Amino acid sequence: MSAYRCPVCDYTYDERTGDAREGFPAGTAWAEVPDDWCCPDCGVREKVDFEPAG
Amino acid sequence: MTAPSGVDAASTIAVVGTGVAGTSAALTLRNAGFTGRVVLIGDEPDEPYRRPPLSKDVLRGTMPPEKTRLRAPDTWSQHSIELRTGTRVSGVDPEARRLIFADGTGLDFDRILLATGGLPKVLPQARGVDGVHTLRTLADVPALHGVLAAGSRLLVIGAGLIGSEVAATASAMDCAVTVLEAQPAPLSRALPREITRVYEELHRASGVDLYTGVDVRELIHEGDQLAVTDADGRVYSADAAVVAVGLDPRTELAEHAGIATGDGIVVDEYFATSAPGVYAAGDVANHPNHVLGGRQRVEHWLNAQEQGGAAARAMLGDPTPYSCVPWSWSDQHGVTLHVCGWPEVAEDVTVRGELDERDFTAIARRNGRVVGAVGMNRPAELRALRTVVSAAPHVERAVLADPATELASLASFEVAGTSS
Repeated sequence: MSAYRCPVCDYTYDERTGDAREGFPAGTAWAEVPDDWCCPDCGVREKVDFEPAG
Repeated sequence: MTAPSGVDAASTIAVVGTGVAGTSAALTLRNAGFTGRVVLIGDEPDEPYRRPPLSKDVLRGTMPPEKTRLRAPDTWSQHSIELRTGTRVSGVDPEARRLIFADGTGLDFDRILLATGGLPKVLPQARGVDGVHTLRTLADVPALHGVLAAGSRLLVIGAGLIGSEVAATASAMDCAVTVLEAQPAPLSRALPREITRVYEELHRASGVDLYTGVDVRELIHEGDQLAVTDADGRVYSADAAVVAVGLDPRTELAEHAGIATGDGIVVDEYFATSAPGVYAAGDVANHPNHVLGGRQRVEHWLNAQEQGGAAARAMLGDPTPYSCVPWSWSDQHGVTLHVCGWPEVAEDVTVRGELDERDFTAIARRNGRVVGAVGMNRPAELRALRTVVSAAPHVERAVLADPATELASLASFEVAGTSS
């Protein structure tokens, strides 16, 4: 299980916890997050811009 | 859903506004298990999209408009959300629980959320003048693309967040940019004085001409030139101008419905307006400030998103009062600024790091309590401070300045002098 971070605002998507607000249940793999999904917190960076966290 | 909400599978919830507040509300209704009818109505022709990139990547031309789409096009039908774009609501009758569309048809609802946002404030001197632009929606972008060619001269009137970002973007496109600001400093509504200086320096270092304390007396279009005359007689000329002097909340539906307004639509901590069954959220909502007291209207992306979600839950009977702290950010000249809380009301500011190196977190206190923060290049610290500001603890400046202080730990500091 990995986590990915938005380079602009530090929002972190953690595969363990998912993000219920975005419709991704706990355990949703990063690969299952759609390519056109963008950072929910800053609204600008997209999935491809995210970096592996920690 | 549990009982006290008064809505069930036979209910209709209407959401007016397809910005991020309205769309978050519609999606949250579904995520929270509401199985009734959800109708999401917006007068913009486009499917719901993200506004933050408009003044940045979209204006620059590095992000095509379709990339700003908020959700995949099939999201709305998948969630059984009836999306009606290009549709204007002309009236709301709270007693009859009915709204009227501009074409004369109507819709009966059990709850309605007004997430109508706002329109760029009009500068009276600029009304009807050719070559004057504003930026709020995707529809505003093509005309701006027409004037932002390399070498063209642009006047930006207003150095708030949108004006400053437009100036930075135009400057990156090799336009000659002049910014005119009425206040003594740029971003002065958002930032403490110590930090606005960083922006004065940043604009100038990037080749933007910034003039503050400008009182625009006249704005005329002559030949193919625009000319702005300051009260002191000075004249600034350019090929085009962008006016970015703030936002007027769109309250007309509420006003005509007899709902309380005053710098926006007045709501309580559950986003309920003065009319039963009618809620408001996002840029248009004037809501209680749980940290500073009093009321506020917040015009930021994340807050609109959070408020839309909170209003949806409240419409379904969730008794949790809204308590999110404002949080926003801005990209200018390749530097990202993060802001949380209310740094503009600071009585003192403690800087961790170096302002000159644009690597810092500046923590704002009022009455000895941490009420806001501003940062560059330190998003994780700002994220931690958002939780701290929510608790608004009393913290000594020496503690704030100490690099060894874990900012996240400050949230649990004893809040002296309060009853809780």
